[in-house]
Amino acid sequence: MADKSFNAFKMAQQQFDGVAEQLGLDPGTRDLLRNPLREYHFSIPVKMDDGTVKVFQGFRVQHNDSRGPCKGGIRFHPQETIDTVKALATWMTWKCAVVDIPLGGGKGGVICDPHNLSMREQEQICRGWVRQVVRNVGPLQDVPAPDVMTNAQHMIWMMDEYEKLTGAKYPGFITGKPVGMGGSLGRTEATGFGVIYTLREALSELGIEIKNTSAAFQGFGNVSQYAVRLYQEYGGKAVCVSCWDQKDNKSYTFIKKSGIDLDELLGITDKFGGIDKAKAKGLGYEVADAEAWIGQDVDILVPAALENQINAETVQKISAKMKVVAEGANGPTTPEADEVFKKKNIFVIPDFLANAGGVTCSYFEQVQCNMNYFWTKEEVLSKLDNVMTAAFHAVYGLAKQKKAFMRDAAYMIAVARVAEACRLRGWV
Amino acid sequence: MNNSQNPIDKLLHDMRERAKELNCLYQVEELLTRTNLPLSEIFTQLLQVIPGGYQFPNICQVRIVHEDHTYQSPGFTPSTRVQRVDIKEEEKVIGFIEVSYTRDVPQTENSYFLKDEQKLLQTIAERIGRTVLHFKLEQVSREWETAQKDLSDKIKKEWMVVIDLLRRTDQNLYIHLGRKMVYHLFWNGVMEAKELLKSLSKDQGAAQTEMSDDMNRPSQKKSQLELLELSDKTFRIAARYLSDSDILGRIQKWIQEDKASFLSRAINNIDMPLVDVINAITHYHYISGGTYELSPPMEKGLRVSLIRRFFSDQLDFINIAKNHIEVRHFYDLVQRIIYPANGYGRLGGKSAGLFLAQKILTKPGDHSEVLCELKFPKTWYITTDAILNFLSYNNLEEVNEQKYKEIDQIRLEYHNVVQLLKNAHFPIEIIKGLSMALDDLGNKPLIVRSSSLLEDRMGMAFSGKYKSLFLANQGTKQERLDALTDAIAEVYASIFGPDPIEYRAERGLLDFHEEMGIMIQEVVGQKVGDYYLPAFAGVAFSNNEFRWSPRIKREDGLARLVPGLGTRAVDRVSDDYPILISPGIPNLRVNVTADETMRYSPRRIDVINLKTCSFESMEITALLTECGSQYPGIENIVSVYEDDHIYSPSALGLDFSKANLFVTFEGWISRTPFVKQLQCMLKTLQEKMSTPVDIEFAHDGRQLYLLQCRPQSSTAGNVASLIPKDIAEDRIIFTANRYISNGKLPDITHIVYVDPENYSLLERSEQMIEVGQAVGKLNKLLPKRRFILMGPGRWGSRGDIKLGVPVTYSDFNNTAALIEIARKKGNYVPELSFGTHFFQDLVESSIRYLPLYPDDPGIIFNERFLLDAQNYFPDILPESAALADTIRVIEVPRAASGRVLRVLMNADLGEALGFLATPDSQASAERERVEVSETASDDHWGWRLRMAERIAGQLDPGRFGVKAMYVFGSTKNATAGPGSDIDLLIHFQGSERQKQELVLWLEGWSLCLAEINYSRTGYKSGGLLDYHLLTDEDIAKKTSFAVKIDAATNAARPLALKSQ
Repeated sequence: MADKSFNAFKMAQQQFDGVAEQLGLDPGTRDLLRNPLREYHFSIPVKMDDGTVKVFQGFRVQHNDSRGPCKGGIRFHPQETIDTVKALATWMTWKCAVVDIPLGGGKGGVICDPHNLSMREQEQICRGWVRQVVRNVGPLQDVPAPDVMTNAQHMIWMMDEYEKLTGAKYPGFITGKPVGMGGSLGRTEATGFGVIYTLREALSELGIEIKNTSAAFQGFGNVSQYAVRLYQEYGGKAVCVSCWDQKDNKSYTFIKKSGIDLDELLGITDKFGGIDKAKAKGLGYEVADAEAWIGQDVDILVPAALENQINAETVQKISAKMKVVAEGANGPTTPEADEVFKKKNIFVIPDFLANAGGVTCSYFEQVQCNMNYFWTKEEVLSKLDNVMTAAFHAVYGLAKQKKAFMRDAAYMIAVARVAEACRLRGWV
Repeated sequence: MNNSQNPIDKLLHDMRERAKELNCLYQVEELLTRTNLPLSEIFTQLLQVIPGGYQFPNICQVRIVHEDHTYQSPGFTPSTRVQRVDIKEEEKVIGFIEVSYTRDVPQTENSYFLKDEQKLLQTIAERIGRTVLHFKLEQVSREWETAQKDLSDKIKKEWMVVIDLLRRTDQNLYIHLGRKMVYHLFWNGVMEAKELLKSLSKDQGAAQTEMSDDMNRPSQKKSQLELLELSDKTFRIAARYLSDSDILGRIQKWIQEDKASFLSRAINNIDMPLVDVINAITHYHYISGGTYELSPPMEKGLRVSLIRRFFSDQLDFINIAKNHIEVRHFYDLVQRIIYPANGYGRLGGKSAGLFLAQKILTKPGDHSEVLCELKFPKTWYITTDAILNFLSYNNLEEVNEQKYKEIDQIRLEYHNVVQLLKNAHFPIEIIKGLSMALDDLGNKPLIVRSSSLLEDRMGMAFSGKYKSLFLANQGTKQERLDALTDAIAEVYASIFGPDPIEYRAERGLLDFHEEMGIMIQEVVGQKVGDYYLPAFAGVAFSNNEFRWSPRIKREDGLARLVPGLGTRAVDRVSDDYPILISPGIPNLRVNVTADETMRYSPRRIDVINLKTCSFESMEITALLTECGSQYPGIENIVSVYEDDHIYSPSALGLDFSKANLFVTFEGWISRTPFVKQLQCMLKTLQEKMSTPVDIEFAHDGRQLYLLQCRPQSSTAGNVASLIPKDIAEDRIIFTANRYISNGKLPDITHIVYVDPENYSLLERSEQMIEVGQAVGKLNKLLPKRRFILMGPGRWGSRGDIKLGVPVTYSDFNNTAALIEIARKKGNYVPELSFGTHFFQDLVESSIRYLPLYPDDPGIIFNERFLLDAQNYFPDILPESAALADTIRVIEVPRAASGRVLRVLMNADLGEALGFLATPDSQASAERERVEVSETASDDHWGWRLRMAERIAGQLDPGRFGVKAMYVFGSTKNATAGPGSDIDLLIHFQGSERQKQELVLWLEGWSLCLAEINYSRTGYKSGGLLDYHLLTDEDIAKKTSFAVKIDAATNAARPLALKSQ
């Protein structure tokens, strides 16, 4: 039963195998990159609020550090499995490599449900986690970050424990900290802006003037909001966004063919990200179904909300004029929809390139921490632009050269970079 | 005197007689004021003076008997022509005075004496009584002086002085104390006391043997003198056996108790109007100097009587209350009671609950340290009978019959009743009382709460049925008084409201003699900008019936907190959430991630607007932007969201215009003793009241106030179900014994079963997402609250979706219960979610959550039934038929020969049972009760079905181009509530014009039915019909609602059209 069921790590390996085949990697390199370099399994005993002791299972997986210290989040999840963590560590290796930042891939976690834990108990888990792997992590070895059900608070506890154990200040040990506590400016904007930096480059390669384009955005969270802002700054016309309506328990698309006014919409958005439907109508927006965004007669689609939004069914609705998809969300396109894109010759900026602004900014946080000098937001964003632009062109160049689909090219370049580093180090 | 005399003569005669009387009275008065004379001398002289006031002084003789002495006119001879009046000293007869004639005299109006002579003697007797008292008091005061002198000279022991004094001045009390003392000595084994008692009973015993054949003859009464001697002996014995201070202490106590006897008489006399009881309490408070030294039995007796008189005669209540409410507590209480003249009312259930809780919590004990800061809002009470008084004062008694009318008539007339009562006048004593109350309460906003007799009955969920009204209480005294009386009238009117009456009728309480007391409470809080509000408020329960983590125990309790007035915590508000905490384990939050915390944070706040004098609900953000800096303790209420991180505000304070603030109560929960106080309060109340409690509280930023307290069992919907033990195993679908809350799902007709085994075999995540989507579709198609979802692991799993079906709240918001199945995998049992992702949605919509552990020992899990029953899933959702191995839809009555699934959950036993049961109509009424706003009886759907049939019967198929008509949804499934639509499907084949006509025709019906429904139920709607026109093509393709026609399960029901 177990071997038949869905296994994320197996999926990651299959994906790698495909790319390795295309790259013609030798068996030794394949063996090395198919599996993590190191896996740490450990027990974290915690004295609970009621005085009892509970032992939690913790993990850290370092998939590959040939290009630099490992980087990856720490997940608190009740159903955490080592296979999930291994898969995610592998993906981190590729993600860092595709934007060409000098970091490897890692991931960690603790099997626990924060819903059953008090903050003090969670703090003890965080500190216990660091105590167990203190020798194997650090600013020059492996740098954790927030992930599922962990946040800045957890990172600060972990950093504090690390600094206590090592006897010095190492803000670069961990990322995702609040500004003022070693956090970087520009993080809120990073992902959304990153999407548009790559989109800008893609359009320019395709010979399309961004000023003459229109785009439909799905979602109205951080990513979407900043993507819309930058896109419009560049002169593009965003015709819609979609957002979740908590009262109706469904999403709606807010459309204005002449172009939405972001600030106007933000003015009628509650702090939970919901746009007031009645007020939007009053401002001349058409309030349509959740899926309406995908069928807009636009040049560009920016899915920046959930997984599997563009699938075999919805892909049929896309406009004939649609040319570029910039994947702001993780995994918004299903393989079936990918096939349609390939057939229709639609240009896709794959998720792990398009939304790599986030991890790049984490890298910047780490860099700033290590030198204990912090940049202005403008500096951060301009450096981000450089990284994203360069990353796009590398992938695009390869895609053109190999006549490959962008998604495949991105994987190829990532794997190739890691394989090369291993080779140069003489590991393979 | 004879009748022939003319009127003038009679008048003159009368006046002469009157002058004589006055003269006599004057002389008597002169005599009685000569205090230098001894009493005997005064009496002797009176004998000479009195005859002068009579018609025939020469033959008039006087006799005065005072205690053992007799004074009479010289040559006194007994006569039958006599007039006699008792002489009383403080109501006690101490003798008499009589006037008689020695020979016959003419009679007037059948009497030898004139009417005025009768009055004269009466007056003289009264004056004598008073003089005697005066003499006595004078003597007492002299005695006291000597006694004090004795004391200071230390000639006698203190107690002896007292006893001595009493013996001379108040023999009855002396004898009373003697009797108490002899018993006391006897109890303590003093032999001489035994002898003394024996000698006493020997006399009686002798008497008894004497009259053994005549039991009914009274025993001989001992003379006063004998009794005095007995007491003398007793105290001599006491002097030998007891210490002086002991004797003195006892004497003091007994004297004190004697003083309270009038109180006990007043309270125990059920005919005594409340005003006299209150006077007695006040009087006793003064004479006892507030010390209330009563013997335990007497104190207890008085407590019980007072509790019964003021609060309740329910034994459950008295049994508990008598241990906490003391006699002295009533003095403060009665200062704030407003009652009709000669009323007999009580204070009602709500008042009783709060008063008892207050006394429990303020009584010193283990909780005292934690709860020393606890406060109670100042409260005035109007007794329950004031409403009757009010009605009769305004000649409105007929309103009382309102409850026996038809419900639609009650509803129709209710608005008039409200207006009638609002325009009526309050009796003057009530107005006076309210005016005093307003002076006492000042111009703080007020809440007028109902406190009725029904609310007092333990186990009755009468909360929220009657009105509670907030008053801004601003303006001139007259304006405030007008607003207050207006509010009271409105609260009174709510007794006659259709909803409470319907509720009572359903529970057989219509004939209960309902009376409504009123509590006028100051609203806890302070001014913030133009608004008045507490910093926060909420409700709390001793038992947590909605646990979001297995670590939370039922007894850890549950609190619902909201900023501002507590109204939003008391009622479930569909679009907002309170903050939930379990006071026993406050750090285990429902919401953990920033996303969850924000999504479930309260958005609106209830306040009193002092400017407009109205109760308002506003956005918290708006209030904070306007006047956040004035909000007390705001830094303990909100957290700041920044960079995916939620944290408590820094010491620099908050920038209300910029900061992204969310209500979390983080500060109050983690940095103040508030939760500890709350928990201590719940625990103490639960322990002392021997029942889980349900309290309302408010906090003004400095102190916590308790506003209301009642037994938790009275809360509807969370009643523990009895778990039958005799269900045959083949009828059981599942049992459970872990993390059980209370509840009952009486008649489940459909089970959606996601097979854990097959779900885990799905290879691609898309398939799992599809399962989630299919569940979402089923949720819209299956009868609301009549189906349950059963599935593996964590419903709504967001991370690894193979652990549970990925659904959101909207995908299952119509289910009756969400059941998670934890099957063992090897030696590993997966952790369940407890619905954490949407926990608060479950709470607010009363969807039950139940975890099943089929592999636990002793647990029954009838997998065979779930797998063998016919699966209707492919028929309902043909487009997803591929998932039929994973999703099974079971129509229970078809699979179990007409039976339904009944799920009973009992948290007390920690047991739940799902079994096949025969459907009963009673159950369906109970089920609807559980729902928040949808009350239903069989009538709602029955009427709707009849209406649907009538519409079809009138619909001319030829005229409108209609082929067929169907009814579906709640009307068809017999689940319709008062607010339900009638769902109709119309197979339409006509032209565009026919369509327009049909729509017009249906709209007419829709509006008419909506109007009728409003008068039946009070639910307003713009139209009652929800109809869908389907074309041939729709039906062929089975698009949207067409799927309902000829559906495999829960199919729409065809209706007969008008025959052509």
